[in-house]
Amino acid sequence: MKKKRLWMRTTILLVMLAAIGYTFYNHFSEERGLVDQGDEAPNFVLEDMEGERVELSDLQGQGVYMNFWATYCTYCRDKMQVLNDHYEEYEEMGVKVLNINVDETTLQVERHQQRYDLDFDLYIDRNMLVGNAYGVGVLPSVYLVDDQGEVKERQVGGKTEEQVIDALDSLVPEN
Amino acid sequence: MNKETCECGHKNPYGTYLCESCGKPLKEDGRLANMRYEGVARRSQTYKRSVVDKVWNFFSSVKVGIWIIVLILVTSSIGTLFPQEMYIPPGEDPSLYYAQEYGILGQLYYDLGFHNLYSSWWYMLLIAALGISLVIASLDRFVPLYRALKKQRVTRHAAFMKKQRVYGEGLSSNADLESVKDKLKSKRYKVREENGNLLAEKGRFARWGPYVNHIGLIIFLIGGMLRFFPGMYLDDYVWIREGETEVISGTDGEYFVENNEFLVELYDDQNEDIFQEALMREDAPVVSNYQTNASLYKRAEGGSIGSETELEHVKDHEIRVNEPLTFEGISLYQVDYKINELSNFTFTLESETADEDQLEEVVFNVDLNDPQMYYDYDNGYQVEIIEYFPNFYVSDDGEPMTMNRVPDNPRIIFEVFPPDTDPETDTGEISMIGVQVNEALNEGHEHRISMQDVELVDVTGLTVRRDHTLPIIIVGGSIFMVGLIQGSYWHHRRIWIQQKDGRMLVAGHANKNWHALKNDIAFISEGTNLPEVHDQLDEEEKIEEDKSKMSEGGSR
Repeated sequence: MKKKRLWMRTTILLVMLAAIGYTFYNHFSEERGLVDQGDEAPNFVLEDMEGERVELSDLQGQGVYMNFWATYCTYCRDKMQVLNDHYEEYEEMGVKVLNINVDETTLQVERHQQRYDLDFDLYIDRNMLVGNAYGVGVLPSVYLVDDQGEVKERQVGGKTEEQVIDALDSLVPEN
Repeated sequence: MNKETCECGHKNPYGTYLCESCGKPLKEDGRLANMRYEGVARRSQTYKRSVVDKVWNFFSSVKVGIWIIVLILVTSSIGTLFPQEMYIPPGEDPSLYYAQEYGILGQLYYDLGFHNLYSSWWYMLLIAALGISLVIASLDRFVPLYRALKKQRVTRHAAFMKKQRVYGEGLSSNADLESVKDKLKSKRYKVREENGNLLAEKGRFARWGPYVNHIGLIIFLIGGMLRFFPGMYLDDYVWIREGETEVISGTDGEYFVENNEFLVELYDDQNEDIFQEALMREDAPVVSNYQTNASLYKRAEGGSIGSETELEHVKDHEIRVNEPLTFEGISLYQVDYKINELSNFTFTLESETADEDQLEEVVFNVDLNDPQMYYDYDNGYQVEIIEYFPNFYVSDDGEPMTMNRVPDNPRIIFEVFPPDTDPETDTGEISMIGVQVNEALNEGHEHRISMQDVELVDVTGLTVRRDHTLPIIIVGGSIFMVGLIQGSYWHHRRIWIQQKDGRMLVAGHANKNWHALKNDIAFISEGTNLPEVHDQLDEEEKIEEDKSKMSEGGSR
């Protein structure tokens, strides 16, 4: 009788605690992106300024450094300077850097590329289709996708040169 | 935990006031019996054991529950003193805004987190505590009370009778019990008889009112809680320019909405209709309709996200206020609009030195949402856009920048190459153009860019809303009301009549509205020779009053 009561009380308390815990988890874990660590990176197709298409699934076997950026984002500018210095050496090691603009005008993106002497291809995410699918809010947002197509990490905000290089290193396929 | 055995032989749990079986008071406290919860032991209040029991007992306390409600009331009202963060003007930094606008109190308000009160962790914890308290306190009282009322015996201990508030006794021989029974039945009492003793009872279900009410409240809270569960609730916003298509958030990029046209219609103040008088009182025209002619699209099956997305038309709908476009549980409501957003500039060149005929040809259009880079003309003129800033500002470093993608304050830097210059090698005439802005950025200009025409576009603001919790909240609210009515408009009345040693005892109890109970007893006493009853509480008060009067008199 007493045991039964204890058991009942514990069960009721635990059920309520679980429901409340789950609610709090959902409410306060907004830090976790729509697509985040451990998720499979949704496939997408984008075109660069010359109309060359890139599809994420074609990049299987390579690490992919996806960088969502805008011309009006100063942290993006610093980060892309660093990427511009290093992207070629990492490309040889099997890491692809994709810089994806969040639906600004072609003119702005092209002028930005000229102004900052960026050598790599720039992709424009028209209508923010890819950005929305990945849950991009704050810029810059970076998704590190490994050679298996899984998101290793989501990085939001400005990063130092060292941090960017560490991120690139972590994407180098093992074999 | 010791059982307390009553003289009738029933074993009662520790903490029982009145024997569950015969009603004999087990504790001596006062002249009147404590009839709350039928005198049963509210188990949680009477002993403490493990941690689980301690937690349980804490939330079972009505005192704790009241404190939680008071805290919620107080904090909720503080949260309304200054606007919540989502209502301060957009673009304001909340860490500065509250201090600037409301001084020290505002700063304190912000520091203590009241600017985001209703989703702060401690406010949510208070609500959660209220929910737990409701469940536990109700369970702890409902179960014993239900058992006691279900199992109550007709024959009660004489001490129980004597300790009821309404009580009377007399000789039993004169009383006509049969007509008492009939009269009770005519008043719709349920009458039970046992060895010449009567228990008449009416409106017991009113006792469940508070618990029904609590169940409604708990369902209501569960509904509110479900809003935080994925897929249950969505409240978002989308701005769409006329002619553009935007993705609808919360649909995983599957659905898109196109704004074909946005309309604001006004009442015709020449027209004779019923609103005429009211319309005349207004100085400005009165809007009769806000409307977005929208088309819904769905991403084609199997297509990938991005530039190869193909859209299939689903349906057209005219979205008006309260007439949303609804699909798959999601509704798009008309909530906002922006008339006249800049969309297109048309420029020409003016010059005092150049050939008029040649200049006439040079007309260039700049689409502010997708400007072109070069404009070449057969007569040798070339215009190039060097920079474009949709929402211009100068950064702290003195660099020209754009704030975002919206052309609210567009600035364009043009380089004009007249026919006699070579765009590859020479520098043209550079100038910055915006609304009411035309600045030359280098020397020796022979041409002046002139804005000929401006095209504007309307933007509609739609709310994207999905709410699967609403039915649950409505059900909870309805049950809440049922419980409230059940407990408020009916009340539980009981009358006991007992014969013992040639005397007749009459006792009555009501959980409220004692007046009606006394009326009922008066009605059944008429012509049946039932002993007269008194309200012992009134008598007690009277005695107290007399005592105090006497002491007052004495001191005089």
